[in-house]
Amino acid sequence: MSFLRRNLPSMLVMGIPLMWIALFMLLPYGIIVTYSFWLKKYPTFIPAFQFGNYITIFTDPQYVRVFLRTLKISVLVSMASFLLAYPFAYYLVFRCRSVALRTWLYMAVIAPLWVSYLLRAYIWKTILGTEGVLNSFLMSLGIIDEPSSLFLYNQFAMVVTLTYIFIPFMVMPIYTALEKIPTNLTEASADLGMGPWRSFWTVTLPLSLPGVAAGFTLTFCLSFGDFIAPFLVGGPDGNLIANVIATQFGAALNWPLGSALAIVMLVVVLTIVSLSDRMERKGMTGGV
Amino acid sequence: MTIKKTMLGTLSLLALTASPVLAEGTINVLTWEGYADPSFLTKFEETSGCQVNATYVGSNDDFAPKLMAGGGVYDLITPSIDTTKLMIDLDFVEPLDTSKIEGWNDIYPKFLALDGIQKDGEYYGMPYVWGAIAFMYRDDAFDTPPTSIADLWREDLKGKISLWDDKSAIYVAARKNGDMNIYSLSDEQIEKAKQSLVEQKPLIRKYWATAGELVDLYKAGEVVISNTWAGYQSSLLADEGIKVTEFIPTEGAEGWMDSWMVVKGSPNKECAYKFLNMQLSEQGQCGVANVNGYSVANAAAAKSCMSPEQYAALHQDDPDYLDSLLIWQSLGDRFEAYTNAWNSVKAQ
Repeated sequence: MSFLRRNLPSMLVMGIPLMWIALFMLLPYGIIVTYSFWLKKYPTFIPAFQFGNYITIFTDPQYVRVFLRTLKISVLVSMASFLLAYPFAYYLVFRCRSVALRTWLYMAVIAPLWVSYLLRAYIWKTILGTEGVLNSFLMSLGIIDEPSSLFLYNQFAMVVTLTYIFIPFMVMPIYTALEKIPTNLTEASADLGMGPWRSFWTVTLPLSLPGVAAGFTLTFCLSFGDFIAPFLVGGPDGNLIANVIATQFGAALNWPLGSALAIVMLVVVLTIVSLSDRMERKGMTGGV
Repeated sequence: MTIKKTMLGTLSLLALTASPVLAEGTINVLTWEGYADPSFLTKFEETSGCQVNATYVGSNDDFAPKLMAGGGVYDLITPSIDTTKLMIDLDFVEPLDTSKIEGWNDIYPKFLALDGIQKDGEYYGMPYVWGAIAFMYRDDAFDTPPTSIADLWREDLKGKISLWDDKSAIYVAARKNGDMNIYSLSDEQIEKAKQSLVEQKPLIRKYWATAGELVDLYKAGEVVISNTWAGYQSSLLADEGIKVTEFIPTEGAEGWMDSWMVVKGSPNKECAYKFLNMQLSEQGQCGVANVNGYSVANAAAAKSCMSPEQYAALHQDDPDYLDSLLIWQSLGDRFEAYTNAWNSVKAQ
């Protein structure tokens, strides 16, 4: 009795989150894993234990193709976000002298997160469309004679839209990582005769790698699971893996195959997360 | 205007997400937009004392997952004739007491003869509205009007073509290939249809998924030819001042028909039947025809409540038109072959 009384608070403190994890993470995953072994049979599906769904995923070229396409789009989005976000974050931390301006610029990147995702994707539709803002602009400059349909409803439009939507998740960790670098390290590097470029390559960049890895992981995983951008700005060749999963749960009424696809997707994402985790750790211990 | 619209949207979203009340005298319907429109529903609620909560679906594929998630929420649903059989086979719906439905015998015999709404001699669906999956083009884009499905494969229209993102794409491609048995295609015929769709893919601007999306595509000047739900998107485009013309291609068109079905174990039978009666009466039939531009299933009601022009425009007295349509059918265990082929086209 006294044991219980003594331990009750800590049991509650630990128990509630553990229950939450069990109820809202482990249980749903368990259900999905179970479904993934079931069998499709009209009108729906029946319990079974067989690997047919997984075999289908790896032998029917349509699933491999969509997985590879999703991988490509996610990598492109992460790369584009990185190339834009790093110089921006670098400028904010090391070059921007005015605190007010820095706050404003930082907020300008973060603020779109408060706007509905759908709205932000729609905006790109009006920008990239055949009669859209970009086309009118290029025509008014005389660069093109007639509106181009090359900007919207293709993979380019998806990468642009997803980069815009997920770039805050790249800026934030890089900004934080750069901000943590003590200025005396770069000063010491300069004192020892290093030029600004070499200081950047040998001191600043390596120290900021954990932030870069975190940014890559976030943008990659978010893009990998996206299914709105293909729907709104993607073209006929824009189907991503999340769309295929949605189709299996809806139109095709094949929850077993949809579950198996979700599990494969989960494995890919978890692999990326653990790889990046290892990199972050290496960056932290090896860097300083 | 936009703010008002947004607020209205938010309000209706609230109304949709709020959990339906399961009180006596309240029915929850899972249906298409327009089928429970305030323009004719308000009067029903006042006179019958039954309150109606409507939730809208975006596709026939939404019915099964929504009902599978657990019963007891919805009382009535309106799947199309290719999905009604699935609802019966899934044991989601119950037989109708047709003697309690006034006007049952005024329904077009062609619909009452359909296999998809009956089982073991009992009716499970009450035919409500119907139409064609017609084709549509932008007037200003064509000197000679298109007449064939093959026009959706024309090189010179590259990047200006749209097709419904649905297994019906297989039906379209099969007819283009001369296979008219679109609901009982063999594996070879499906494969051939798939190849045609893959060939067509570089010409496609976008596969349209919702009615609103197709309207936007025409409005933004992105596409000039597509298939369409006859009567619906064309009237929305007419409101926007964009001139489009619907046509039935020489290869024929599919027809669809939506039926009201009573969900098994619905506790609100009395209101459900009052609702069914209203929907099949002039009030419901002309109500929905005015909102969505669809043709209706009750021939007698249509005759008495429609103007002669509307009556003719909706092909209500045109048995040849109705007979020319290839009315959707349940694909049964062939369903997977069709959806798989279509998914594989999209994966290319």
